[in-house]
Amino acid sequence: MAEIVPALGTEIKKVKKKESPFIITLKRLLKNKLAVIGLIIIVVQIGMAICAPLITSYDPAKQNLVASELPVFSEEHWLGTDNYGRDVWSRIVYGARISLVVGLVAVSLGLIGGVTLGLLGGYYKKLDGIIMRIVDLLFSFPGILLAMLIIAILGTSLVNVAIAISIWSIPSCARIVRGSVLSIKEKEYIMAMKSLGASDLRIMVKHILPNCFAPIIVFATMRMATAILSTAALSYLGLGAQPPTPEWGAMISQGQAFMWSSPHLTIVPGIAIMLTVFAFNVVGDGLRDAIDPNMDIQ
Amino acid sequence: MMGETLLEVKNIVTEFRTADGQLPAVRDVSFSLKKGETLCIVGESGCGKSITSLSVIGLLPSNGKITSGEILYEGAPIHNLPAEKMRQIRGNKISMIFQEPMTALNPVLTVGFQLREPLMLHHKLSKSEANKQGIELLKQVGIPYPEKRMNQYPHELSGGMRQRVMIAIALSCNPGLLIADEPTTALDVTIQAQILDLMNDLKSKFNMGVMMITHDMGVVAEVADRVMVMYAGKKVEEGNVNEIFDNPKHPYTKGLLNSVPNVDDPDFELEAIPGSLPSLHEQIDGCRFHARCKFATDICRSKEPPLSKISDTHHVSCWLEEEEGKLG
Repeated sequence: MAEIVPALGTEIKKVKKKESPFIITLKRLLKNKLAVIGLIIIVVQIGMAICAPLITSYDPAKQNLVASELPVFSEEHWLGTDNYGRDVWSRIVYGARISLVVGLVAVSLGLIGGVTLGLLGGYYKKLDGIIMRIVDLLFSFPGILLAMLIIAILGTSLVNVAIAISIWSIPSCARIVRGSVLSIKEKEYIMAMKSLGASDLRIMVKHILPNCFAPIIVFATMRMATAILSTAALSYLGLGAQPPTPEWGAMISQGQAFMWSSPHLTIVPGIAIMLTVFAFNVVGDGLRDAIDPNMDIQ
Repeated sequence: MMGETLLEVKNIVTEFRTADGQLPAVRDVSFSLKKGETLCIVGESGCGKSITSLSVIGLLPSNGKITSGEILYEGAPIHNLPAEKMRQIRGNKISMIFQEPMTALNPVLTVGFQLREPLMLHHKLSKSEANKQGIELLKQVGIPYPEKRMNQYPHELSGGMRQRVMIAIALSCNPGLLIADEPTTALDVTIQAQILDLMNDLKSKFNMGVMMITHDMGVVAEVADRVMVMYAGKKVEEGNVNEIFDNPKHPYTKGLLNSVPNVDDPDFELEAIPGSLPSLHEQIDGCRFHARCKFATDICRSKEPPLSKISDTHHVSCWLEEEEGKLG
């Protein structure tokens, strides 16, 4: 028999226009109003960070003592100026760059470490004990304290803040990934892959990891919020960005002294931090609902 | 094209390390399989048929181990190969089809991706070459519009389709031996027949040996050349398919055949085998089936029956036959 003709009954229903899982998730996400608001804030912010020189007319570090402590909605400076006469709007816009980049770097590094440890721990029973004890050890420190400890060792700079925050992200990420791996590796399709002679590495990276993407994406989004908040907190404490870097946390810390005379110096960067953290959190929440297959019922 | 021995399993014992100590799940089982032949391993759930097949392909759970005996593939031992060598054999020379087509395909990867994997892995094909061959394979297993299917996800296919995809994946590297673990149990009856036909066609096309695990005597009648009946980890009877169906010797085999309804014969009484399978760690003297056997005698309760020969191809492990054999 040369060719096996498809038998009757095997004809399957016409597949309607193909929708990738990405499009489906996006559609569901867009139904969530709060998540859309968050998404808009994030997009605007990314736009601000990228086009910073185009939407500001002042150098964020340039001092102009003649026009210091101008209030909000001044003629030249719509968000006013600080005690050195630096344009607050420029500093907020350039600060968005720093927050996003530090957050992104910290989360990426944290994901690389956490996913690797989680995959290894979940897949190899023997490594699991060791890796999870290390993770427990990291968990036993309060996050910000751990970050401060790392910065104390490495020195104060934004790069070190990113590293510190990433190390602090590793344990929770490792736990999440390990949990998914533990359930996925027992699935029949992993057994089927083994029966085809795939190596452990191939199974882990190409067949198990894609199944863990949903929790990882949600984790990463939520973690961005934490990372941005922590960067601001550490800079506020003087452990991160050093003057004259326009970092939001550092701006609050510097504006503190002028809280009564020029409250906008603390309120404006405060609102910027709040909006960003809020945006990433609601998008993370929305993503979790959108990715969850049980939401299909609705 | 039958004749050449493909697989030889000699006296394997597979044990599991558990909290209750070592549990033998497969006890001293031997069989052989020729090229182009289908061997059906039949028995109740938990009788060790799946573990036998996993022992052959070397995918026992981490607490399981082949403690004695040997497995020869084309004359070379494969039961003691290092993991890396065994990995090259799996998928390439021996491959496996699983019971549940719904769960045996990765839901987040396209059919094409999963079909290309073994080709790129064992034959070192490039992605586009693998893609071409994948489409060819899908055609061979009777899937319409193969080009389109390559980019679809498993949830877009029906159960029968998925099982066809599974078969295509398993056959992608032209293996000499195909192990099918209840490949049709989860499918509709009409689809079952199609899948069995397909497997038969492909078997003769590629001259493969097929080891089919099932508890469905209907499936056995349809596809098997030889049948091995297992009970509680032991082989109780082995023979050509007509020998087993026309002249079953072991009371357990008879019981299995009698527990299949017969529509043609209105007087046919469905006869269930009383009792249930003993648990693995139960110490049983004599024949492992004696507690459920209505012909059991004293010797059945005290001494394990040897394998007696009915014909060159038909063997049974039962005292009733042993005595007859002695007389004749």
